Amino acid sequence: MSFDVTATIVFVGLFLFVTWVGFVAAHWRKADLDQLHEWGLGGRRFGTIVTWFLLGGDLYTAYTFIAVPALVYGVGAMGFFAVPYTILIYPILFLVFPRLWVIARREGFVTAADYIRFRFNSRALRLRVALTGLIATMPYIALQLVGMEVVIGALGFSTEGFTGHIPLIIAFLILAAFTYTSGLRAPALIAIVKDMLIFITIFAAIVIIPAKLGGYGAIFEAVPKAKLTLSPPAGNSLGNYSAYITLALGSALALFLYPHSMTGILSASSGHVIRRNAAALSAYSFVLGLIALLGYMAIAAGVGENPLHAGGFERYGANFAVPALFLDMFPSWFVGVAFAAVAIGALVPAAIMSIACANLFTRNLYKEYWRPDCSDAEEARVAKIVSLIVKVGAVVFILAIPQSYAIQLQLLGGIWIIQLLPPILLGLFTRGFHAHALLLGWAAGTAVGTYMAATRGFVSSIYPLEVLGLTVPGYAALYSVLVNFLVAMALSPVLDRVWPRREPLDQRSNRR
Amino acid sequence: MATRARTGSPWRFWPRLLLIIPLALVAWVPFYNRIEPTLLGVPFFYWYQLAAIIAGAVVVMGVYYLDRRQTVAAERRARAGGSTDEGDTDEGAGSGARP
Repeated sequence: MSFDVTATIVFVGLFLFVTWVGFVAAHWRKADLDQLHEWGLGGRRFGTIVTWFLLGGDLYTAYTFIAVPALVYGVGAMGFFAVPYTILIYPILFLVFPRLWVIARREGFVTAADYIRFRFNSRALRLRVALTGLIATMPYIALQLVGMEVVIGALGFSTEGFTGHIPLIIAFLILAAFTYTSGLRAPALIAIVKDMLIFITIFAAIVIIPAKLGGYGAIFEAVPKAKLTLSPPAGNSLGNYSAYITLALGSALALFLYPHSMTGILSASSGHVIRRNAAALSAYSFVLGLIALLGYMAIAAGVGENPLHAGGFERYGANFAVPALFLDMFPSWFVGVAFAAVAIGALVPAAIMSIACANLFTRNLYKEYWRPDCSDAEEARVAKIVSLIVKVGAVVFILAIPQSYAIQLQLLGGIWIIQLLPPILLGLFTRGFHAHALLLGWAAGTAVGTYMAATRGFVSSIYPLEVLGLTVPGYAALYSVLVNFLVAMALSPVLDRVWPRREPLDQRSNRR
Repeated sequence: MATRARTGSPWRFWPRLLLIIPLALVAWVPFYNRIEPTLLGVPFFYWYQLAAIIAGAVVVMGVYYLDRRQTVAAERRARAGGSTDEGDTDEGAGSGARP
């Protein structure tokens, strides 16, 4: 890897521009940022278009842009599960989350855990929801750094040793500063710039690269046949078929339970905004599908055999495939644009995730257990400080601990976060469940899911389930949440007899 | 539960049942796990799923418009009842029957 001056100048220029945008955002739709819902939810005033950019920037992260094509580059068709996954998230968004928004707006809720407390009047359940959200999000923030580090490395900076991490640390300091001053307004505004860059990059990529490689036919010709489709299952197993669709379905069910998705949703200005976006966000899914195909373009371009990229592949593995492809195919200045798109694509979700963690910590731990009568201003100040700590934690995490741990923790995070599905979903649609049954279901699901991942050595989340002599390999998150559901369903009627329910807070408020 | 009686049966939200279509499109993997027929050199596996994204978006958009009358009506009723909530408020357990 040689140092690319033009690309670096363009990259740094765009980065400085979004830094400016991030600070200016504090004055956008000016309000009192000493209120948690103003700092942490943008005052719930984002309309359809801003929400589209915000959720797009939030859900389709830099890590996605690097890791999905890297998976397609490495294993082929299986990596394309990201496409059915993004198809399935929108019906869920449409059906479930406008309801949650309505309640959150009426009661002034900032997190999912706020809602759980209100709905079930159970502090224990709320604590689990808050902690699960925090623990699942932390490694996700760290992974955004991985995406950023790959492009910084591809620009020709050495990312070895402490000095090698300086660009990354600077980027995160900038991120921390504008998140502190502007709150959710900063990623909302930066997301607009980021998406423009991503769309420009991808449309250039799907036109220019196939033109250079001799068309899409030639690209798919160059890919080994075994990679092009899922290998059909053999013997008494559903093989890759069940793995593919359960991965898609499980990931889709988990996505909106993450605190950062929740933050994006609750900042919308109405339920209609959320429903409209359930249709409009598909544009990003389509772009993600095209990005996945970059993995095959990298194979066809032979980036793996190019001695120029040997160092990059050695250091970053398959994650280097897309940066290498851009280096080979684009002029230097446009490489700068494309890499800036990825790096800024890491800033937006990292900012939203740290805000979501800050909201959770402040509302559901600090205010609940330490300072029940703290003022609004103190609440907002604590949240701002926590958002800083979370980001420092993420940097330390990625510098001190091998990257593979971050990836494994993120994999476990998906299994843990999906266990919130029964309390949140069932809470919205029925009153038939006992809080303690949901708590036991959560414990059972978390234990089973973690066990399943442990049997795979924490490197894969596909668990080969044996049913009546048939092996059904599937996503451990989906299997474990089924256990969670069944336990909650079986125990609810039992617990109702032996343990009278506490009156839900929402019922009480109805009597006022 | 006077509110429930006024708003009618849950069937008024029937268009939401259409949201099963996106799942149906991708649920049966063996159906699209094939190379032929290709489209402009792109194997079926890939162009089918990219097309399914568009189909999914059309379904969700269709449901949004079919559903809109009901959610707007619900919104109006909620307003008349003295609340500023919108959409799904008066149906089901999420908010209960508010006076």
